[in-house]
Amino acid sequence: MLNVTRLSSGYGEVNVLNDITFSVGNEIFAVLGANGAGKSTLLKTLAKLIPVTQGHIEWQGRDITRAPAYSLPAQGVAYVPQEHNVFSDLSVAENLSVGALTGSRTRDEKLDEIYELFPRLADRKDQFAGSLSGGEGQMLAVSRALMQDPSIILLDEPSAGLSPLFVDTLFEKISEIRQQKSVTIVLAEQNATKTMEIADRLLVLSLGEVHLLKPVKELDMKQLMEAYHI
Amino acid sequence: MAYLIFSISLLLIYMGLAQLLHVQFGMLGIPNFGVVGFWGFGMYGVAVFNVQFGWPFLFALVITCLLVAILAYGLGMLILRLEGQAILCATLAFSAIVTLLVITEKWLTFGVVGLGTIQYPVRIGAATEIIYFMLLLLIIGSFQLAINKLHQSRLGRLTIAIRDNEELAASLGKDTFKTKLILFTLTSCLMGMLGGLSAPLNQFLTPNMLVPGVTFAVWIALVLGGKENTFGAMLGVFITFGLFDILVETYLPVSPEYAVMVPNFKLFLYGAVLVAVLVYRPAGILNNRQAHTRWPNADLS
Ligand SMILES: Nc1ncnc2c1ncn2[C@@H]1O[C@H](COP(=O)(O)OP(=O)(O)OP(=O)(O)O)[C@@H](O)[C@H]1O
Ligand SMILES: [Mg+2]
Repeated sequence: MLNVTRLSSGYGEVNVLNDITFSVGNEIFAVLGANGAGKSTLLKTLAKLIPVTQGHIEWQGRDITRAPAYSLPAQGVAYVPQEHNVFSDLSVAENLSVGALTGSRTRDEKLDEIYELFPRLADRKDQFAGSLSGGEGQMLAVSRALMQDPSIILLDEPSAGLSPLFVDTLFEKISEIRQQKSVTIVLAEQNATKTMEIADRLLVLSLGEVHLLKPVKELDMKQLMEAYHI
Repeated sequence: MAYLIFSISLLLIYMGLAQLLHVQFGMLGIPNFGVVGFWGFGMYGVAVFNVQFGWPFLFALVITCLLVAILAYGLGMLILRLEGQAILCATLAFSAIVTLLVITEKWLTFGVVGLGTIQYPVRIGAATEIIYFMLLLLIIGSFQLAINKLHQSRLGRLTIAIRDNEELAASLGKDTFKTKLILFTLTSCLMGMLGGLSAPLNQFLTPNMLVPGVTFAVWIALVLGGKENTFGAMLGVFITFGLFDILVETYLPVSPEYAVMVPNFKLFLYGAVLVAVLVYRPAGILNNRQAHTRWPNADLS
């Protein structure tokens, strides 16, 4: 369970998020919003990469508001940034090994599973990650998060820059992972229609504030449109 | 003959500095432009303890290394969280301060008058220099072995991850600041040790040995050789220090009227070689791979 209470954060002097409150259970929790609404900022704040200016973050009963970023993987939190999300000077296999120390399974066990899930990565395991295509890079970034055996994955816009066909495959994989491992997923997305197919609940951000917080089933499309038209 | 041994001993010292800078910049991405500061502090530290305080060489060396380590640790705490340019300026300033202190604190260093004579730790007649050279060779060789080990280790992979994308490495559970701080302290301390070992080579020290040119020579060597491997950096030292400082400046017969031009000509040649390498071999002389683009997810297909 992730509890976020009255959270504010931003970059130095610039405040981006204001008074955000929500909690995430064992589900796919989508964060939607227009460009610049603050989706990435929210995920970065949850990953502790930018400081919280106000409010609290609680994960599995523990207050992590002031915890350093590097302490989160050991607590089951994995984060996949929107961009710059692979180590371009390391090979695919090396990328997967960095941060594979958490969890009880051995690295090889996890690697086998990843290569089964994404056979394309197995073919390219010695290639430098910097020379992967956009889609392959996303697969790698998601896979590296899975190597941590996380309880929650903060996934920032995995569909960015991918062809519609590939987005379909990726989202299928995400729900597959969700079902197999019952891992919680916080998914920031631009692509509302696609996201609504797999998400359980939605948080819509608008100018850094909560515009809407609802189960997908009860969603009123008009409200959703409003958030994007500001 | 003695001069030749002196020259190649100094060459080895520079190679050691290049190896250490390879760890700092090539592996961790820390742009240390204060190489001469750590090296010079080590050299003067040993000289002051040895000559002024009368401490035995080895004891002076150990204490000096400890001091350099403390200094590097403190400096690292202050600067390693900053951006690249800030680190560059701070380390450059650090080395300028070291030089300035050496000039002004005359009671310790004799300022521009110079400090000497620093004796070799043990004297074995005419063979002393050669044995000292062998010792340096041994040290540089073990640096090389250690760095090779580091490259193949999990820690080595982590350093490259940190250089590549520190934020991402942190979000994968790595205490990147601590890793950088420990390795920076260790390698800077070893730079100080190389400085201490240079003291008996030079015997008589003056502040004009502590010029930024030392830092630049090591940096240029690193760029020439390519930051990916240490052999490159060592080859780079052969070209900068070996070819220019030793061969051109001391062995090339130049008539006195042109002699004043040699140091400037050297800098000009450094520059020319640097530009040529950057244009034709962007990843270093030994590296025929294209310099790696830093655009993640670049679609090259
Ligand atoms: N490093 C930064 N420094 C200052 N302001 C920033 C920084 N990064 C983002 N911002 C600002 O914060 C706001 C929210 O940006 P954020 O990246 O969170 O948006 P987003 O919802 O993820 O958008 P997108 O869909 O385009 O990814 C924007 O106005 C942006 O300009
Ligand atoms: Mg974003």
